[in-house]
Amino acid sequence: MEVLSARGLVKVHGRGRAARRVLDGASLSVTPGEVVAVVGRSGSGKSTLLHLVGGLDRADAGEITLAGERVDRLRERDLTRLRGRAAGFVFQFFHLVPELSGAENVELPARLPGAPAGALRRARTLVERLELGHVADRLPHELSGGEQQRFAVARALVHDPPVILADEPTGNLDPQAAQIVLGLLRAAADEGRAVLLVTHEAAATAIADRVVRLQDGVLVADPALRAVPERLGA
Amino acid sequence: MRAALADAVRRLRAAPGRAALAAAGIVAAAAMLGAGVTVSYGLTTGFERSAQQADLPDVLARFGDEEREEVEERVAALPNLEQRTYRYEETSVPLSANGESSEDGVIHAVRGERRGYAILEGRDVTADDLDGAVVERGVAQEWDLEVGDTISSGSQISWEIVGIGVSPDNVAYPLASSLRIYVSGPALEEAFDFVLPVNMALLWSTEPERTDVLLQQARANSYGLSDLRFITREGVEVAVGEAAGIVIALLVAFSIVALAAAGAMLATAAHADVQRRLGTIGIQRAVGMDRRAVAVGFAASGAVLAAPAGVLGLALGTLVAAGPTGALLLTLNELPPGGALVGPLLLAWLVVVAVVALASGWPAWRAAGRPIVGLLRGSEVARPRAARGLSRGPFGLGLRLALGRPARLGGTALVLAACTAVVTLMLALASLLVDLSDDPASLGKRYELTAQLDADSAPDVRALPGVEAATPRYELDATASFQLGQPVRLIGFEGDHVPFEAPPLADGRRLDPDADGLPEAEVGAGLAEALGLAPGSTLAVQLPDGVEERFRVVGVVRALDNDGRVAYVPADTVSQAADESAIAVKLTDGASQAAVQAGLIDLGAADAGEAEAATTDDAAFLATLAALLRAVALVNGLVCLYALMQALALTARERRGTIAVLRATGAGRGHVALLLGGVVAAATIPAVVAGLALQRWALGPATADLAAGYADLQLTAAGAQAAGVAVGVALLAAFASWWVARRTTREPVVVGLREE
Repeated sequence: MEVLSARGLVKVHGRGRAARRVLDGASLSVTPGEVVAVVGRSGSGKSTLLHLVGGLDRADAGEITLAGERVDRLRERDLTRLRGRAAGFVFQFFHLVPELSGAENVELPARLPGAPAGALRRARTLVERLELGHVADRLPHELSGGEQQRFAVARALVHDPPVILADEPTGNLDPQAAQIVLGLLRAAADEGRAVLLVTHEAAATAIADRVVRLQDGVLVADPALRAVPERLGA
Repeated sequence: MRAALADAVRRLRAAPGRAALAAAGIVAAAAMLGAGVTVSYGLTTGFERSAQQADLPDVLARFGDEEREEVEERVAALPNLEQRTYRYEETSVPLSANGESSEDGVIHAVRGERRGYAILEGRDVTADDLDGAVVERGVAQEWDLEVGDTISSGSQISWEIVGIGVSPDNVAYPLASSLRIYVSGPALEEAFDFVLPVNMALLWSTEPERTDVLLQQARANSYGLSDLRFITREGVEVAVGEAAGIVIALLVAFSIVALAAAGAMLATAAHADVQRRLGTIGIQRAVGMDRRAVAVGFAASGAVLAAPAGVLGLALGTLVAAGPTGALLLTLNELPPGGALVGPLLLAWLVVVAVVALASGWPAWRAAGRPIVGLLRGSEVARPRAARGLSRGPFGLGLRLALGRPARLGGTALVLAACTAVVTLMLALASLLVDLSDDPASLGKRYELTAQLDADSAPDVRALPGVEAATPRYELDATASFQLGQPVRLIGFEGDHVPFEAPPLADGRRLDPDADGLPEAEVGAGLAEALGLAPGSTLAVQLPDGVEERFRVVGVVRALDNDGRVAYVPADTVSQAADESAIAVKLTDGASQAAVQAGLIDLGAADAGEAEAATTDDAAFLATLAALLRAVALVNGLVCLYALMQALALTARERRGTIAVLRATGAGRGHVALLLGGVVAAATIPAVVAGLALQRWALGPATADLAAGYADLQLTAAGAQAAGVAVGVALLAAFASWWVARRTTREPVVVGLREE
């Protein structure tokens, strides 16, 4: 049973002669425990797709269902509640709050009124589990890129969402740090979550169960890329 | 330099929104400057400018009617005399024109070349001008008269108004109860074939700074002249200022303080803007720009923005303040600065541009000296120890976020503190102005009523029900014997004056009315400063009748009356020559003032009014003052409100990226508003505390000192006023938080993420 699905998504950026149809009927589905990687060249609309299915932006047309709720029909208040319950985001540029330490960034969703019980405890556990305890009190600008992204992954998992949406999570990392982060995402899926991963790096698709390519605004299966992990012996 | 300016323009064009916001802040602060410069320059230079334009004499002598030849003989022998002229003044003349009339007209029959008044419209009367008259501007305004109209005295004599003039030797009609016209003395003599006497002499010194010498000799030569009184230019200024001098001084002082606050706001806002662009500085340094180039670039950006914004702001401030300032000058018979204001405004514009350029360039220079990698990675963020306990909930998180960037927080808090202080100062000023016109206690008076009764009636007054104490009070305007230009007001009470009138003692002790030897005096600090007096020195004054009195100064008091040029002396030294004598009446607690007033009238009092306060209670004049205060307050208040909103909104707007991250993790509008509330609270709470403290211990005393350093003015906001300001700022902060929360949560989360 799919926990995330999108049908016929359309998104136009700009207006008039500058208008660009970034998504033009894109469809996709992700089931629990599955990692789906979306690839495509820069500017093809991968991040836009992720923002739409996560309810961070509104589609011009199409249907999106996240954890059983129609994202495209929800009012902002309900969308907020849904994000807090069902989605965890990992961004390319980490988006850690610069004034908060790494651990406090992880605890951020747990501090919001209405956060699930035990979220704060879970935040601390995640910091330890991701081997970040020794840098937990450092501010983001005092952390390496890999450490920042691991804190970001921990933050996405704090409220135990069924879906993780990762936007180029290794785009700013060295290969070693990238491997660690990708391993965390794979582990999250193995715990039963659906992971939608947007990337333009072939190596990042190694953890994916399925790879789809965003091309001319629509998603198409990419068997060639799916072969990569097999070739790597995954 | 040209390249730097071109680069600055490009940089501003690249971020038009931010540039517009910064420019709006500069416009606002410059408007405060403009209003302040217009008011302070216009009012402080008003008398001197008008005196110069009117060719006001250095000494004005009044005496009983005398033959001109007789007076001329004595005057011609005076030393240090450049020129003189004589007038005949006829008072209580019925005048009418344009359907208006007054029984309190004053006709000055003038002669000679120098007249001592300025012609604003039309022309002056000439020696053979029998039918022409010059009317004072105040009369022309009040009666709606123009050149060519007719003004009549009774039903017999009419004059054509040939000119409208102004002389700053008195305030204007109707603030002055009498209205003055000038006619030609020689023409009157020729027409009616008689010789007019003279009762005024206008004397111009060769060396105005040595007018003393002229006055000394004039007194010596004046034997036989009745009711002789001298008044110098300085004396005129003090006398004219008595109606509103302290209020004007307060307005000017407030404007000067507002100038400083506006400067601080400009500097802080520009500094904060650089703090927001530390990342840009890091990139500039990384691509090879040296420190100097970075600093010059930021300074040029600031200057390019400040130049037009400063012009606009100064023009706006001037526009708002010029009208009411001119109206106030009009009532004082003074002239508006006109083109002379251009110089100070130009200077203010240069200050605006320089302050913004320096406040942009200096922090950029300092920042550019830091390690580049630190700038690029956001090393401005600090780890606030005090904030550890605050990290629970969105509000606490907001506080955390603000405390994490202490430089920005400090800048914002400083702007808010300056605004809070200025707004509170305005309220305190408004209260003080009310007290000065309403409350006799502002002059140190502790009695409530003044009854125009003989001194002998004092026991009868004391016997009235509701009267706690009553004693004769005498008042007399004299001049200092050693510096004849210096006016001195002598005040005498029978018995101890302290229960009736006692400004705070600054030095020495209270006078003993029964002391042996030289009579004792407490002098005002204004007089002490003007004459170099201190306890132990001798005060010598010349009374109007030419008699000299000497006093031993035993105390200095911080008196507000007559610019502090007062002396409390034993009653018997002034009772004979006093201009005013009355019974000062203190009421018992809870006594009916009206009943006591009725009792005083029954005793035969010609008048039994409330004790006078520090300024005139003329309604029209107070309305003019109120209009000026409103104009200044309007500009400053609006600017401060704008600065508050701008600082709060900018602080909140900077957090759009953080808000987007929060929203992505499930925060709704309420959470965002709370977070922003925390952010702005971190700036507003210390700012309000600092602002109130700043007003109470710095701006208030500074304004009072600037206005009247010789007196003890309390320019402190009342508790309710301070609380009102605090609540107002809190409401504004709440509004700013709500407004930005509403705006940011209406846009898709992704928009905020792009800003992060």
